[in-house]
Parts: sequence; structure tokens; C-alpha cells
Amino acid sequence: MSLPDAVDYPFAWEPPMEVPAGWRTLREHSLQPVRLPSGDPAVLVTRYRDVKALFSDHRLSRNTGRYPTSRISPNNEIFNDPEIDNDPPRYLEERSLVVRAFSARRIESLRPHVWEIADELMDAMAAAEQPVDLMESFAFPLPIRVICRLLGVPHEEHAKFRELVDGFLSVTKLPTEEVERCRVGLWTYLGELIDAKRHHPTNDLTSELVKISDEDQKKLSDHQLQHWVQTLLIAGYVTTASQIGTSMAVLLHRPHLVREVQADFGIVPTAVEELLRYQLMGTSLGSLRYCLEDIELSDGTVVPKGSTVMLSVESNFDEEVFTCPMDLDIHRRENNHMSFGSGIHYCAGAPLARMELQVSMEGLLRRFPGLRLAQPGEDLPRVEGGFLGGFSYVPVRW
Amino acid sequence: MTGLLVTADPTTCVTSCMCVYRAPEVFDQDDDGLVVVLDARPPAELHDAVRRAARGCPTQSITLTDQPL
Repeated sequence: MSLPDAVDYPFAWEPPMEVPAGWRTLREHSLQPVRLPSGDPAVLVTRYRDVKALFSDHRLSRNTGRYPTSRISPNNEIFNDPEIDNDPPRYLEERSLVVRAFSARRIESLRPHVWEIADELMDAMAAAEQPVDLMESFAFPLPIRVICRLLGVPHEEHAKFRELVDGFLSVTKLPTEEVERCRVGLWTYLGELIDAKRHHPTNDLTSELVKISDEDQKKLSDHQLQHWVQTLLIAGYVTTASQIGTSMAVLLHRPHLVREVQADFGIVPTAVEELLRYQLMGTSLGSLRYCLEDIELSDGTVVPKGSTVMLSVESNFDEEVFTCPMDLDIHRRENNHMSFGSGIHYCAGAPLARMELQVSMEGLLRRFPGLRLAQPGEDLPRVEGGFLGGFSYVPVRW
Repeated sequence: MTGLLVTADPTTCVTSCMCVYRAPEVFDQDDDGLVVVLDARPPAELHDAVRRAARGCPTQSITLTDQPL
């Protein structure tokens, strides 16, 4: 079976408030060749049933730093640390040390603290001159304060940390040497944080990981420990921030949906889930894998051994699984979207992200009943060249 | 008349918490965040929630078996 011509990835969002038209026809082919931002080739698995199956297929390796995997960008090291084993069994052993902090009960116990942070940020918004940029005043500060508290990063170091993460995550926007400076700076900072927690443990996840690791004959090397803390910081911050701001923009662009939520805040979790599915901020770049053996998809198409594979988050729009997938339906009941992935690499921070998104939506719509976009949604700028494709500026009034 | 037998495999659980969200009467987690079945034979009114929980599990760690009452 012949494959279609390669297209550039990620797909362009034109107009910015609508799912790209190309996604409707994407699933005509089960495998779509793409060019990554680096120019390197990859293939995108387009259909939900294949995506779900392949997320649990051990013939796809997450050790993208160990094989000749295509690069997302020429100068970004993310997911490419050859010293880290991201495949089972080692990956699962390490992951199990981390995920216990993300059980439903432990996340629920954090909810009052997230409300406190949200209230503080909304107090500052209320005192500021309108319009206020929701990204800068709420969406970014909220998750960074939550994850810093979880990991024990001192408050006075949040700004420095944020600058380093922003630079490190920039896929093509910044000059190579600047990304490298941020990468090294962040790595060094995290090493110092771990060292500090080793000598002066506090009540946080980093201290707990150091303790578990040291007690159990260095279960994690310092490098592995540093890698996990870095992964949690990055994953807990930028993705959540982008989704908080972008999903609120998408909702505010549809005032009738805002009124529906305000009439019944009980639908917030379902609305949050649908906005996660709708994915106006994500790409499939985070799912990059290396294909160890030929893999046959459900229609017989073969993913060739040696190819770089992405499992598409665009499968959230597969009509075989989702009724009227292009519609934003905040009451959608069965919503097993792929925005957090699937299988053993399912986003460890998903329960935390969900809780933060719920608090954000309910908090903002309760505190500011007249909340609305201060400029047309079609004119909102998108993040350029970043790993994520959400909005960079969301001015609001109330 | 058939009932529903619920089993879950903590060795493949990845702590997505989806089962606890969708059917909290039937699923819980231990101190390591791994799945625990609270009610292996849930009443009929919970079957829909339990099936949605099983479908939502990212590692298909929940097994449902129809069996005679």
C-alpha cells in the first residue's frame, strides 16, 4: 500500500480557534509521513484504534536517544538522554517511585492549596487594570507554584526556574546557544536542589525520592533522580499552563458555553475533559518513538522497522470513536481521549493537571461572572516555534 | 440473570486514577497508588459506571466477567 506525500508537522492552526480542516481527512490514510521541525522524517499513526494499540506495543521504543531516531529540532535534547532507559522493565521500576504521589487521594489533598493559589492570583487580577492577560496573570503562575510546592522549589527561585524552562523548551524559537545555556542551567539547578534536599529534607516529593533512592542502595543514580525531577517540573508546568489559558480562551470564545458552565458548575470536570480532547494546544511531538520491528496496523499498512513514529493526538477526532468529533461538546460523556497518551507511559501528572484545570475553570467563572475575551478569538496570537501550540496572549475583561 | 465480576491487576496499573474517578464505589488505590477493587460484585446500578471505568483504563488493567448470580 502506498503512502501519501509527506506534510509539515505540526499542522498550522488557521483560523486559530478551529481544529485544522486537514484533520478531517487525516484518517483517510492510517499512516501519514511527516517532516518534523528539524526537517527529519517521521510517520504519524492517524487512527484511534491503532494509536491505542501502539501505545501498548513494546516494539516501539521510547529510548529515542539510543537509536537513530529523527530529531524534533536540531538543538533540543528533550526525550534524548541516552543515559535514561525509558523502556520496561527499568522505566516501570522508576516510574512506580514517582506515581504514588499522584494517587487520587493525594491529589485531592492538594486541591485546597490549589484553590488558595488561584484565589491569590485572582485577587491580583481583580486589582489590575483591564484588560488582563490571562496567560501571564493566571495560567502560567498557577501550575508553576503548584509543582514547585510539590517538589519543594523555594518560592524565591520560581522566576529563575521559569526562565530556564521556557528557554529549554523552545523548540526552534531561540538560538542554539541560548537553548543550550538554559538546558545546562536547569540541569545544574536541579542537581543543587536534590543536593539541598539530601542534606536538609523537607516535606516534598524531591526529598521523598532522594530518601527512597538512598535507602534502597541508590535505587536511582543522581542522574536518574535529576532526570525524573526535571521531567516532573517541565511536564507539570508548561503543558498545564498552556492548557489552562488556551482552554479558557476556547471556552470564552463561545459565551453560550460559559453560561452553561456558570448555570451548573457540576459539569466542570466533563467540560475540562472535552477541552483536553479538543487539544488546541497540543501536538503529537511528545509521543515520538523508535520502531524496533515492522508493525502491521489494523488495515494491513506496515510501519517500517527503523522509522520514527508519532502516535497522533489528532486521533481525538476519529469519528469511529467520538460522535461528531469536530464539535466541542462540554457534556460529552464517554471521552477516552489520547491527550495524556495511553499504556505504560500514560501521563503521570494527569490527575494533578485535571484537578488544576477544574479549579481554574470554576474559580475564574465564579469570581468573574462577566469574564470575556478582550479581543476577538480569531485574533489571538499562538506560541511560535514552541513545543506546544497554545495561545501566547489571552486578554480578558469582566 | 447475570452478575458482574470485577478484577483488576495492580501489576499493570499506571495510576491514571480513571477508575477511581468513574466508579469510586468500586475502585480505590493503595499507598503506592495502585488499583484496589472495593466491591468485586457491584450492584446493577453501578455496572454502567464500572464499564466506563474499564474502558477508560489506559493499560486495560480492569477485567469484567459476566457470571451467573
